[in-house]
Amino acid sequence: MIQLFRVSKYFGVIAALKDATIRIRKGEFVFVTGPSGAGKTTLLRLMFGAEKPTEGQILINGINLGRVGGSRLDFLRRQIGFVFQDFKLLHRRTVLQNVALASEVGGEKWTTTRKKTHQLLRAVGLTAKEHAYPLELSGGEQQRVAIARAMVNDPLILLADEPTGNLDPEITRDIMILFRSINLRGTTVVVATHNKELLRNTDQRVLFLQNGMIHE
Amino acid sequence: MRLWLYYFKHAFESILGNRLIYFISTGTISISLLLFAAFVLISANFNNWAKSWEKSLSLSVYLENGTDAQEKDEIAKAIERVDGAEIKAFISKEKALKDLAETLGSQVGLLEGLTKNPLPASYEVIFRNRELSREELKNIKKSLEKVKGVDEVQYSEQWLERIEGFIYFSRILGLIVGGLLCLAVLFIVTNTIKLAIYARREEIEICKLVGATDWFVKIPFLLEGAIQGIFGALIALSVLFFSYSMFRVRTIQLFGLPVMDVTFLNAGQYVLVVFLGLTLGLLGSFVAIGRFFKF
Ligand SMILES: Nc1ncnc2c1ncn2[C@@H]1O[C@H](COP(=O)(O)OP(=O)(O)OP(=O)(O)O)[C@@H](O)[C@H]1O
Ligand SMILES: [Mg+2]
Repeated sequence: MIQLFRVSKYFGVIAALKDATIRIRKGEFVFVTGPSGAGKTTLLRLMFGAEKPTEGQILINGINLGRVGGSRLDFLRRQIGFVFQDFKLLHRRTVLQNVALASEVGGEKWTTTRKKTHQLLRAVGLTAKEHAYPLELSGGEQQRVAIARAMVNDPLILLADEPTGNLDPEITRDIMILFRSINLRGTTVVVATHNKELLRNTDQRVLFLQNGMIHE
Repeated sequence: MRLWLYYFKHAFESILGNRLIYFISTGTISISLLLFAAFVLISANFNNWAKSWEKSLSLSVYLENGTDAQEKDEIAKAIERVDGAEIKAFISKEKALKDLAETLGSQVGLLEGLTKNPLPASYEVIFRNRELSREELKNIKKSLEKVKGVDEVQYSEQWLERIEGFIYFSRILGLIVGGLLCLAVLFIVTNTIKLAIYARREEIEICKLVGATDWFVKIPFLLEGAIQGIFGALIALSVLFFSYSMFRVRTIQLFGLPVMDVTFLNAGQYVLVVFLGLTLGLLGSFVAIGRFFKF
């Protein structure tokens, strides 16, 4: 599903990712961990086509990211859910509209959009706040809006960058169960985190990142 | 259809949500279009005026000496058969002499030595509801000169040349000034809309990140541009109409030239201004957003 072949990413002289070769199969659940500045966000953004690799090739669902652009990339992105570390919510739109946006851009039927949106807001426990604006929410609530938006399209791939950074242990557990359940329905999930708790009792595959180097 | 509803909804929402910016850019469009509409108003009035000069063009049909009453009638009939022609006056030999004496004023003594009246009688002919080209005038002159009893047909070549020159000049000037105004308006509109879009670059970026196509992001902006353009045009027209109503003078007379009637824009010109507003708004946001997407 996700293949990186000898991928490097440099920001000037800083190597955020060095010679990474990774293969993630369909339906896998993978954690990416490592200290701050190790290159976790960079790795996820590369998989999303939001960043171009300096060297190497990236294949997502058989599509070479280096060779697509424009509408093909847009189409691919609609099949990938991304939880951004900084949420990236539209401040002028309500919680409901923010989550619905990801569904609307795909030209989804309105009734389907509404159903899925409500279903996900319930899953992340934000039904009561659906008409609030992002800036009226706490950090953890905004994070849950971002999570709901990433999952509204039933994506093939879910890339979550530090999705539980602002959540208390209780909600963190709920969110992880949510991720696990979408994974069980076939979505490939990649979660970047430096939360050691999450990794403690897991039998999932873990990628360690240190100074841009990958260790399984 | 449902998607267009979505586009319109978001276009209106974002106009309401960014009131100040849209107020400024719609205001800019209004002022620019007001200039343009005022220019159209003034040049249209000048054009009408110049055309009325053409209508004031007159023809003198001089009769041969010793034409009898029946021939005179025949000539009058021949003149009236010409499309649009109308006899303003018959000037007899005596009247012509009297007129000449009046024009001479103190030098009237020059006429004293005359034993017989040397001036011919003439018909003064004017044209109503008809614009004449030089070629048509030439043909009329030729055909009237064939009528028995007509000595010569005269019109002022110089007068005609001056009118045509003026109309030509005012058209060229109109095109240049109008074109420059359009460019200036486009430039201003593009830049204001670019500011408005720049203020929302994060929104565009996020839409792109969740997989929106370029058009999905662009169309609401284009609609906003179009709405602003139409509103701007309507405001400009209202202001212009209000000023026109305040300006009470309806006729202007300068240097003994024909009277200039001041009229407001006609339906076609209304549509032109609104259409221009629409085009400018659309084009402005298209250019602005096109540049944005390259970054
Ligand atoms: N746009 C950028 N321009 C320049 N340098 C960048 C950019 N993005 C990331 N970097 C650098 O690349 C390195 C890896 O950054 P990255 O954001 O991937 O780390 P991270 O593992 O996600 O860290 P954190 O756990 O704090 O989120 C850092 O040294 C960072 O300074
Ligand atoms: Mg990060």
